[in-house]
Amino acid sequence: MRQESTSFATAAPSHQRAPGGIGWLLLAPLLVWVIAFVIAPAGIMLVYSFLKRGTLGGVVWEFTLENYTGVADPTYLTIVIRSMVFAAITTVLCLAAGYPVAYMIGRASEERRNLLLMLVMVPFWTSFLIRTYAWVTILKNQGLLNSMLLGAGLIGEPLELLYTRGAVIVGLVYTFLPFMILPIYSSVEKLDGALIEAALDLGAGPLRAFSRVIIPLTSPGIAAGVLLVFVPALGIYAVNDILGGGRVDMIGNIIENQFKGNARNWPFGAALGTAMLIAFGFSYWLVNRRQKMIEGTR
Amino acid sequence: MRRGLGLVIAIALAAVHLPAGARPAAAADSLNLFGWSEYIPQVVIDEFTEESGIEVNYEMYASNEEMLAKLFSGATKYDLIQPSEYVVEALVKEGKLEKLDKAKLPNMKNIAPDYFGLPHDPQLDYSVPYMSGTVGVVINTAKITDPVTGYADVFQEKYKGRIVVLDDALEIVTWALHVLGLPPNDVNKESLEKVKPILQKWLPLVKVYDSDSPKTALLNGDVDLGVVWSGEAALLYNEDKKFKYVLPKEGAHRFIDNLSIPKGAPNSDAALKFIDYILKPEVSVKISAEFPYTNPNAAARKLLTPAERDNPASYPPGNPKLDTFRDIGANAVLVDKLITDLKAQSGT
Repeated sequence: MRQESTSFATAAPSHQRAPGGIGWLLLAPLLVWVIAFVIAPAGIMLVYSFLKRGTLGGVVWEFTLENYTGVADPTYLTIVIRSMVFAAITTVLCLAAGYPVAYMIGRASEERRNLLLMLVMVPFWTSFLIRTYAWVTILKNQGLLNSMLLGAGLIGEPLELLYTRGAVIVGLVYTFLPFMILPIYSSVEKLDGALIEAALDLGAGPLRAFSRVIIPLTSPGIAAGVLLVFVPALGIYAVNDILGGGRVDMIGNIIENQFKGNARNWPFGAALGTAMLIAFGFSYWLVNRRQKMIEGTR
Repeated sequence: MRRGLGLVIAIALAAVHLPAGARPAAAADSLNLFGWSEYIPQVVIDEFTEESGIEVNYEMYASNEEMLAKLFSGATKYDLIQPSEYVVEALVKEGKLEKLDKAKLPNMKNIAPDYFGLPHDPQLDYSVPYMSGTVGVVINTAKITDPVTGYADVFQEKYKGRIVVLDDALEIVTWALHVLGLPPNDVNKESLEKVKPILQKWLPLVKVYDSDSPKTALLNGDVDLGVVWSGEAALLYNEDKKFKYVLPKEGAHRFIDNLSIPKGAPNSDAALKFIDYILKPEVSVKISAEFPYTNPNAAARKLLTPAERDNPASYPPGNPKLDTFRDIGANAVLVDKLITDLKAQSGT
């Protein structure tokens, strides 16, 4: 039985050939784009990370390793770890909230499904920054949430919700939820209902059917969702700057400071960026390996 | 059918990401103006174009460093930039500014005398003051009744979680230097070691860091006092007289934003015309009306409304202790690291 899979990690079955002449021609635009906008900038960043800082920003073409020794400093490591913790919490919450939604949409009828998908996408029609500021309006002391709670008599004093770590997590989960829902939905949609029926017929309870059959079958979607949330969440700087009152600095803010703040230390920002890139590469490799393991046991 | 739809969506997404608007070309009668966002009123630009026939391409930035990065990338040849005083000093040192042809700037006589003789550009050969201001303490007197006269009064335990400050590492460090009685421009490894314990006490008391719009948190009632730009305090005062502005007795930063012409600007004549136009008193008051900072134009000050002149944030009374910032060079890296470290330590 040929398994259709959304996995990006399966090895090419032996009957597929490498692309021929026409294939490469059609791939050319994508290759040019990837080289110009992904590989070249990463290369520039790598080179800059070994240079010295210029007085007015920019770089001085002298080799140095001081930027990397700077990265290893406990100040910055604490912030890297904190960013990872925030990104991990966001990912877990998005998974917990997004999986049921994606499952429900995937198992709904055709017309219902399109409507529900559109509802998930509607927030993207508004600027991301405006949506983040909307949370300021909701969470501030005189904001919507506090006014409602005060009006209903549930609290006597306004709750200090804004400019806290909690507010940042709320903002992050809100921003990244669709990126978890859509890939999981894609996997759920491809679920063969017959497989679930077979599991139930064979005596599995609904919980077992879920954990032993549905979760593994939708794991490509989960993996994609996890990466699509964790990786951008690591680099975020706007959401935590606005909702955290500038107190919840994450690695993205530190890098931004090197270019747009007093420091004017581009090479250091580049070194931080390169370190993050290596970290992303590592997390991708981890997820990939786990995917191969899951698919290997089927 | 599904594949065709996918192709259409892909093309639509690509089109959305195409650069909106080509780079402004340096035509004979055009001016590439690169200024702070929300600092030059559109009406002033439009009237300049009407009067001189010169098209103005107005691009904006949010920090001096952003301006430097874009200026030196060379993508657009800017004719006018708006550097702060310590950036002017750095640019002059590196030879990146055109010397101003004073013959074409007859209106420079309107500049108040206390803007000459300053360390960053004593003769105003490379820069013309655009707007000035101070960084001081703003207090919501409806919530705060005890006297607040300086930084030490602001950063007290009783105000924990009610303070807003600028998100500017250098500013914060100079406040601590003032409290210690040290010169604010003496920023180096030793002086930073001295301010560290003070900032370790101060930063956990702060609720919000905001350089873009600190008045928002004060208006929302999320904070009750703060150390902010005088222009923000002036706007708060205009909104509600309960917002008092006090210049810290330990000493304060007097910042001056200037108009300068980068070396190699293609339209330096148009730039000089614009500078001279801004120096006209009737034009300068229009800028003051929208952005109530301290106007360096003495002739324009005579044309201000009484309400504008009496705004204590715009024109602080008395003889306060004020200093401009000097360029501190590579020590800026140490400043950034210290504040990053302390912010992370102070927890949330």
